Amino acid sequence: MQDKRCTLQEAIQMINDNDMITFSGFVIWRRPMAAIYEMLRQGKKGLHLVEVNSGTHAELLIGAGAVSIWESCWIGHELYGKVPYCLDRKLKEGTIIAEDYSHQHMLYRMAAGAMGIPYMPTWASRGTDILNPEYDMLERAGLRNGANDKIPVKKFDYAQDPFYNEGEVIHVPAVRPNVCIVHAQQVGEEGTIRISGQTYSDEQAIKAADRVIVLAEEIVPESYLREEPERNLVPGYLVDAIVELPWAAHPTGAYGCYDVDGAFIREFASACKTEEGFRAWVDEWVYGVRDHDEYLDKLGFSRLEKLRANSYHKYSTKVKRGSR
Amino acid sequence: MTDKQYVKPGEYSVVDMLAVAAAREVQDGEVVFAGTGLPMLAIMLAQKVNAPNSKLIYEAGTIDSRGDSLPSSVGDPRCVTQASVASGLFDVFNQLQRGKVDLAYLGGAEIDKYGNVNTTAVGDYTSPSVRFPGSGGNPDINSLAKRTVFIMVQEKRRFKESVDYITSPGWMIRKWPEGTLAHRKDVYGKKFLGGPSAVITNMAVFRFDEEAGTIYVDTIHPGITREQLQENTGFELDFTRCKGETELPTYEELRILHENVDPEGIFLPARG
Repeated sequence: MQDKRCTLQEAIQMINDNDMITFSGFVIWRRPMAAIYEMLRQGKKGLHLVEVNSGTHAELLIGAGAVSIWESCWIGHELYGKVPYCLDRKLKEGTIIAEDYSHQHMLYRMAAGAMGIPYMPTWASRGTDILNPEYDMLERAGLRNGANDKIPVKKFDYAQDPFYNEGEVIHVPAVRPNVCIVHAQQVGEEGTIRISGQTYSDEQAIKAADRVIVLAEEIVPESYLREEPERNLVPGYLVDAIVELPWAAHPTGAYGCYDVDGAFIREFASACKTEEGFRAWVDEWVYGVRDHDEYLDKLGFSRLEKLRANSYHKYSTKVKRGSR
Repeated sequence: MTDKQYVKPGEYSVVDMLAVAAAREVQDGEVVFAGTGLPMLAIMLAQKVNAPNSKLIYEAGTIDSRGDSLPSSVGDPRCVTQASVASGLFDVFNQLQRGKVDLAYLGGAEIDKYGNVNTTAVGDYTSPSVRFPGSGGNPDINSLAKRTVFIMVQEKRRFKESVDYITSPGWMIRKWPEGTLAHRKDVYGKKFLGGPSAVITNMAVFRFDEEAGTIYVDTIHPGITREQLQENTGFELDFTRCKGETELPTYEELRILHENVDPEGIFLPARG
């Protein structure tokens, strides 16, 4: 048995500058945040971030200047901060390229990557400016010349349905990230991934990537996961590194483990309004702690305990969420 | 069945009105696709009042949840409680494309007289003055659901002659690669399923002439004048089919909304 267990530092060293990367989760749920913090500490740069949807983790990477290309459909913090200030600032500086697709487009692009096919047809989002040829930003930047095998030579293409004569289909190109970083509730020693609750677009993201790093709340015996294989998402041979790291998704939430730390995200989203605010936040919460353990110590036991999910409900019953 | 007891002016908030008006768009038994926020209030209220057999799909991948704790976003564990299936985006977006979704609620930053919506960027797209979160599923859902209902704030700068960027397709849309304006039915052809059916704002309910592809005023909320509505719109409004005032919320609807749907006050402001 190949032992894939390693430290977070070792796992993040597998990511190279300029890599195309993607992540597990949905907006503010099950994002591998501890990995994002460590990527910043290791000074990763030039990343090509491609995601079905983006969230708090992506604002952090973009704000820190680690991302040169962002391809996705949405970025924000849901209820805790709707404006992507960091992306807005980098666009105004001209230091990032943002390529817009729709949710379904990105999902099908990732699915095509996972299926090993070069593109996927869809009917979605016709009549929108996403398909405006003037707004193909990678083309405008001269990057669709075939020199980078992660960048398709076209943003999308049209074809007539050749089988049922149903009209013009949009083809969206596969995404093939170098690395997918995943947060899972459980992983086996050999890498079998079990995700509880909604699986979002994790399966497509994991299977599209060349290398997969998993941060898990706990590493459990493979034999335990194999008692109920129908509950598992991905086999271990698709996984390259596993790191046992409780609370690795904080401040995003993880089904059955802990809720979103809304107050924390709201503070971060607010800090992003200015470059100075963002820098101060990062200095405190990323560079101001040595590692994940120090981060958790800084958050404190009582804060984390309040977020902990009730084992029946699968969410925290102790967090005050609204105005009442 | 007792007569409906309508609330009086001052007894409800704007959010109450939006949630109630949106809930009434659901017909019983429909499959409804919802995103975070007001759509959650609307569909959960509809399920408790006028459409008990409607089925709810959350964009992040849960189907027909029957939890009693309001999710704070579509990725929330609360979406999974008593769901029929907890799957993922690939499943629910495939169902959307398959034509299984009857109604969806959407929002937007800007809308034009054809129902085209912008949630991406204001100004020149290649060098935007403000960047919004982006499309999300808005364009997909608005392409592939049979009816969509937009919930928006009524402001002159948001209700425009033409939007800066078409994130989500209305009734007259761009046919690419030429970019010519064409009716949605011509662009979607055999895959035409429907389109925007209503826009509900803090001032009025709008509907669409589906042949002409243009928006018109259906009802105006009590206390709002035609002049005020026009002043808050960036194009000339069509009042020719205005039916009068929007039906007020009932005491029962507001009680359910505040006591059962959002008792924690996650999306609803406190009642003054």
